[in-house]
Amino acid sequence: MASAVRKYSFINAKLRTRLSKLLTEEFFDTLIRSHSIIDAMQILKSTSYASLEAIYSQTGDMKGAELELFKEEIAVFGDVERYVTGETRGFCRALTTFYEVENLKRAVRLWFDRAVRGRDIEDSLPYLYRTVIHYDLRLDQLVAARDGAGVLEALAGTPYADVFEEQLPEIQRMNSLFAFEMALDRYYYAELLGAVDRLDARDARIARRLIGVEIDLLNINWVIRFKSFYNLSLSDAQRYAVPFGFEIDREAIARAYDKDRVGEVFESLMKKHEGVVAMFKEQAADTNARLVLIERILEYALMQEVRKLLIGYPFSIGIILAYFILKKTELRKMMTILNAKLYGVRPEEIKSRL
Amino acid sequence: MMFTTRMKYLVAVVLSRHVDELTKELLSLGLLHFVKIQDLQTGLETRVSALPLDVSGTRLSEIRKRIESFLSVIGTSPAIQNDVVVERLRPVDLEAAEKYLDDVAGRIEGFRERQKMIQQEILKLEGIRRQVDLFGDLGAGIRNDSQSAFLHFTFGLLDAARFDEFSAEMNTFPSVVLPLKEEGDSVSLLVIGMKRDEQQMRTIFSKYKLTEEELIPDLSDVKGGVAVTIDRKIAALTEEQKSLNAQSQAVISGERDRLNDLWENLRLNELYYRIQSYFSRTARTVLFSGWVPASRREAIEQGIRRITNGSYYLEWHDPEGLQKEIHRPVSVPVKLANPKILSPFQMLVTNFSIPRYKTIDPTPIVAVLYLIMFGLMFGDVGQGFVILITGILGALFGRFKKGMREIMKLLIFCGGAAIAGGFAFGSFFGLPGVIPPLWFQFESLVNPEVPLPAASPVKSIIQMLVITLYFGIGVIIMGLILNWINLIRTRQWLKLVFDRTGLVGGWLYAGGVYTVYFFATHDFKQLPGGMLLFAALGLPALLLIGKPIEEFFAHRKEHPATPFTPLTPLRFFFEWLLELLEFFTGYLSNTLSFMRVAGLGIAHVALMIAFTKIALMVGNNEWSVVGILIYAVGNLFVVALEGLSAGIQSLRLNYYEFFSKYFQGAGEAYSPVSLKGT
Repeated sequence: MASAVRKYSFINAKLRTRLSKLLTEEFFDTLIRSHSIIDAMQILKSTSYASLEAIYSQTGDMKGAELELFKEEIAVFGDVERYVTGETRGFCRALTTFYEVENLKRAVRLWFDRAVRGRDIEDSLPYLYRTVIHYDLRLDQLVAARDGAGVLEALAGTPYADVFEEQLPEIQRMNSLFAFEMALDRYYYAELLGAVDRLDARDARIARRLIGVEIDLLNINWVIRFKSFYNLSLSDAQRYAVPFGFEIDREAIARAYDKDRVGEVFESLMKKHEGVVAMFKEQAADTNARLVLIERILEYALMQEVRKLLIGYPFSIGIILAYFILKKTELRKMMTILNAKLYGVRPEEIKSRL
Repeated sequence: MMFTTRMKYLVAVVLSRHVDELTKELLSLGLLHFVKIQDLQTGLETRVSALPLDVSGTRLSEIRKRIESFLSVIGTSPAIQNDVVVERLRPVDLEAAEKYLDDVAGRIEGFRERQKMIQQEILKLEGIRRQVDLFGDLGAGIRNDSQSAFLHFTFGLLDAARFDEFSAEMNTFPSVVLPLKEEGDSVSLLVIGMKRDEQQMRTIFSKYKLTEEELIPDLSDVKGGVAVTIDRKIAALTEEQKSLNAQSQAVISGERDRLNDLWENLRLNELYYRIQSYFSRTARTVLFSGWVPASRREAIEQGIRRITNGSYYLEWHDPEGLQKEIHRPVSVPVKLANPKILSPFQMLVTNFSIPRYKTIDPTPIVAVLYLIMFGLMFGDVGQGFVILITGILGALFGRFKKGMREIMKLLIFCGGAAIAGGFAFGSFFGLPGVIPPLWFQFESLVNPEVPLPAASPVKSIIQMLVITLYFGIGVIIMGLILNWINLIRTRQWLKLVFDRTGLVGGWLYAGGVYTVYFFATHDFKQLPGGMLLFAALGLPALLLIGKPIEEFFAHRKEHPATPFTPLTPLRFFFEWLLELLEFFTGYLSNTLSFMRVAGLGIAHVALMIAFTKIALMVGNNEWSVVGILIYAVGNLFVVALEGLSAGIQSLRLNYYEFFSKYFQGAGEAYSPVSLKGT
């Protein structure tokens, strides 16, 4: 008990202070109602996102500001990593693998667009995050690669080379990166759960639950798409889904695959969350609207878990996980709003997309 | 000054035709803390409806904030000027205002677009550098340019006379033109561009008759040149971006007066409509109500009389009368009337809470106690002077918000208190003996190397701790007396007698202090005699049982269904036991808490001794340059760290030990709608 207090008292106090500085719904509302991207950026001046305004007013480059946000996000978690030690630090490190994986996905997408689809990617190239997170991914070499072998050469010495090599035949067969990206997700969660195994019993239980819920939500989202849009077979769906979920396992996916429509698949997967299903049933809309609704409901379910963590025992890994998820949500929301402002989307429409 | 300002509640009825002029008059007077008639539920609310407003307050506020965001681009924030008069208020055309702001935003966006295009070029140049870096040997890259996915390399000869013209034209897209060698009238060049621009480049090559060479020379030293060229180009482009940013700021600067003027009018309109949002109407009349300091009643009446030519009806109520009339407690706004010089201490008080109406405003007492505590904890003439000067400079020249300005003023007071403390303890930048102590030398209590003068009134640290205990007891007793005054003024008679901080509580505390004093002055071996002990502790402790009984019946008065069962006396007993326990632990910790005053003082002296010793050790017990530097840094460290600690601890003693005895907070601040206020 004493060691948990010693281990988490500082980071708990620090993160709770930071949690209190997360932007409020009222702030986002003001941002959404701002008249233009210029106004929105000025509003950000008085927040921790002031650097975005500085970049935008100097360069007018929204994508540059977006890259800055990505950098800040990684820095935030690097900062958390500094304040913890031992296996907790290992866990935080595993959490930041998420950003490496996301960055790699972006780079491989650019390579695929250029080398396979023959598209011009030069405008997107500058916005790759080039700082090493865990492994030196040699992204410039990767995007310039002639073929899959070139990509493998760029990834040599990193665990991603094996993932790519394993999925290369699938990429060529499907002419799509889908299998590779799903494999990267599975790699990330395997790494994360590996780090969870090294945590002490209480932390491991808390982390497994939240990560399990996150994986469940990810799988629910995918399974609905596999079934209703990609027409994937059950075995493919089970193969692509991320294992280690909290409640959704291969059998649950199989049961959901028996259903015909989006709503039924969702209800089958979420049957333990009666309130959520009821909420879903109340909404009658077209398939796309239902998908958006499903995403909102899944996010809501995740936030419920986060809320439980925040009111639970304070000296555990829970606070780090809760902060990680809440900050990620805030950054995503911020980017959605700023991009919407850039393209002059109406406030009501922005709200519906959040 | 000692109590909150006496307030009067006004209900006014005027004819509808006077609404506009009257709103302006009320805004100009800035005295009325408005309350919606409906909120008080006097019965009138059923016969009136809200006055419809011509303009949405939300929209006014949004446009005003938009102007603020524009002006923040050039680092200014608008404010209502001191000389503003309500006559400057004029109708605002919101459509036109928004159109104007859209136009300004559009002009800025134009600059941003150009900045963005330049940024694209910068990014492409950086891309070229990255791709060039990927090549081990640049020559090989040029010989086989299919090795690069994105770059096109050309090596060739150009007429040297046309080099500048050629370079300028190549500059229209991201490229690097690197002259390698002069060969007669020609110059050999390396041109690097993006593959997507190859066609355009070839057109320029043809135009300038650039002869592409098959034989590629050794280019091992060229990479650095490429990087330098790219850096130079990027620097130029960055400058261009900065210039565009400056131009966009100039747009705002050019519009500054108009923006400020529009902002002021929007703000005035916002206040005007805020006042009207409190108005209610009947078919031909308008009603409004609110609180006014009793001393300003005449000013309000005069204003209303002047605007309405006597066609008005006013009702004035005392808070007590109003409560009786509506049979409910009302929230009376609180106005603190302290001299301006005490504003930093008023900030400390309101930061804790607004005192309840009719209770004591502790600002002047806090000012005195806070400064005494600070002076005792941080007594040093030199360091106090540093704090004083910092405060004066900050207050005079700092561009701070209101809260920070008040803190700067507080520093001036704290500096003064530290100087006074320094004279009392004879301390000047931690050096003993520079100034003779007016009271006693603190250092001689802490540092065995400094002899204790025989005439010193304080001879040991224990004695110093005891002095702070006496000080604490004095503060707590003062808090209790203030509480009794508050309870008398708010007519809470039973609380006055039975509460932990009431008369019985005070009796028990005084008895406890006497008992401890008696015990300590009798070698910790003897307590006062039986009857005396009973009178000092036993009787008031027994009388404290009145508190749970009083609370029970007060609760029953509001909730008559609360039953009095055979177990209720048992409940009284246990609550009394708990009350006693809380009393003793609470008062004991409150009193001992004041020892921190001596503790901080000792820490301050000890830190200065340490820094002085280190400084002297560096120069073998002589003052050296490095020693003086260490001593100066040590002083700064102590001023910052100890100053902050003493400030916080003084505040803590006021908030928790002193306020907890009498302060009745949770009042609502008096906040009239005025030209300069809310």
